[in-house]
Amino acid sequence: MEAAQHGHGGAYRRLLGETSEWLQRYFERRLPPGEVDDAVQETLLAIHRRRHTYDPRYPFAPWLAAIARNKWVDQLRSLARRSADELPDAIATGDHEAAVVSSSVLAGLLDQLRPAQARAILLVKVQGYSVDEASAQTGLSPSAVKMNIHRGLARLTALIEKTPDVE
Amino acid sequence: MSNETLIVDLSSELAPVRRRSMVREGALLLALCAVELALAPATGLMRADMHHMGWAPHLMWRVASLGLLAVAACVLAVRSFSPTARPRQGLMLACALAALAIAGGAFVTPAGNGEMGLLDRIAPVSGMRCATSIFVLSLPILALLGALMRRAAPTQPRRSALASGIAAGTCGAFVFAFCCPFNDPLYVVVWYSVGCAAVAAVARWCLPQRFRL
Repeated sequence: MEAAQHGHGGAYRRLLGETSEWLQRYFERRLPPGEVDDAVQETLLAIHRRRHTYDPRYPFAPWLAAIARNKWVDQLRSLARRSADELPDAIATGDHEAAVVSSSVLAGLLDQLRPAQARAILLVKVQGYSVDEASAQTGLSPSAVKMNIHRGLARLTALIEKTPDVE
Repeated sequence: MSNETLIVDLSSELAPVRRRSMVREGALLLALCAVELALAPATGLMRADMHHMGWAPHLMWRVASLGLLAVAACVLAVRSFSPTARPRQGLMLACALAALAIAGGAFVTPAGNGEMGLLDRIAPVSGMRCATSIFVLSLPILALLGALMRRAAPTQPRRSALASGIAAGTCGAFVFAFCCPFNDPLYVVVWYSVGCAAVAAVARWCLPQRFRL
């Protein structure tokens, strides 16, 4: 990164290449598969725009992790704002390990929500049911399901912001 | 656009950057404070009896505690602009310092003040003027801190904004300490706190609005 700050394009390309692989793994464990690429690219752009804030006297990893974590929270907030959107039919799938880790992290987080919120998020955001189908399954009105998703995602964002970074 | 394409684009247009320096940013803040202090006598803001005050305990308490608070808050604000910074502890430390400074005021109450009524000691009309002056004196420093924050990469922008507001408020109060004609520590504590709190609230609300990492 220090070389990149001096304008060394080759070093910067290598750094961003390695960083993007790390970011891919980082976000696969924390976001729905359709959001991962967006988050990786947003983070790469943030790294590029803020590269002058890196201090070479300190290790690069905590600096990168802090920016990635910030982008993760941004992405969760944007998910919460779009909570009433339908999921696309074609959803990209990650590898098996990432899916297992992701579902285990998600299960832990959902345990901390109210049962109605956790069930609404699980049905609509994870299992891909429409709001109407989730409404029929839970016996709640569609607007109550949307409200549960919205509040649940907001609560999840707050919970994640409070927890220390895992990686 | 794929990640690879983005990486090629970013690295092909790479230009050298001037690295962020906390020392440089601290020096800029110090210079701006010094300019405000230097302008105070020129604009007639400085209190007329300043040269006769000497080492009066209430003046020393006011200047020393506000100076210490301003330095601590500026260091906290500038440090909080780094992505890896966690400003929460620093904010708590600043609050503890402020509490200590306020407690110190109990030992420097000028004689005769105890006999006055509470409302006379607080003097709300003059107090509002003092708080407004502190607010106005803080604005250039707040603007500078806002610009520094936008250029940096705070990952907790709300807390960084609050730290910036406290820093700007205490710097404004420090400059105003040389201009304020009131000596009563109770008055100073109440109205200087109001002025600093107003700056902190404005900063906390305004600075994160357009900030995006």
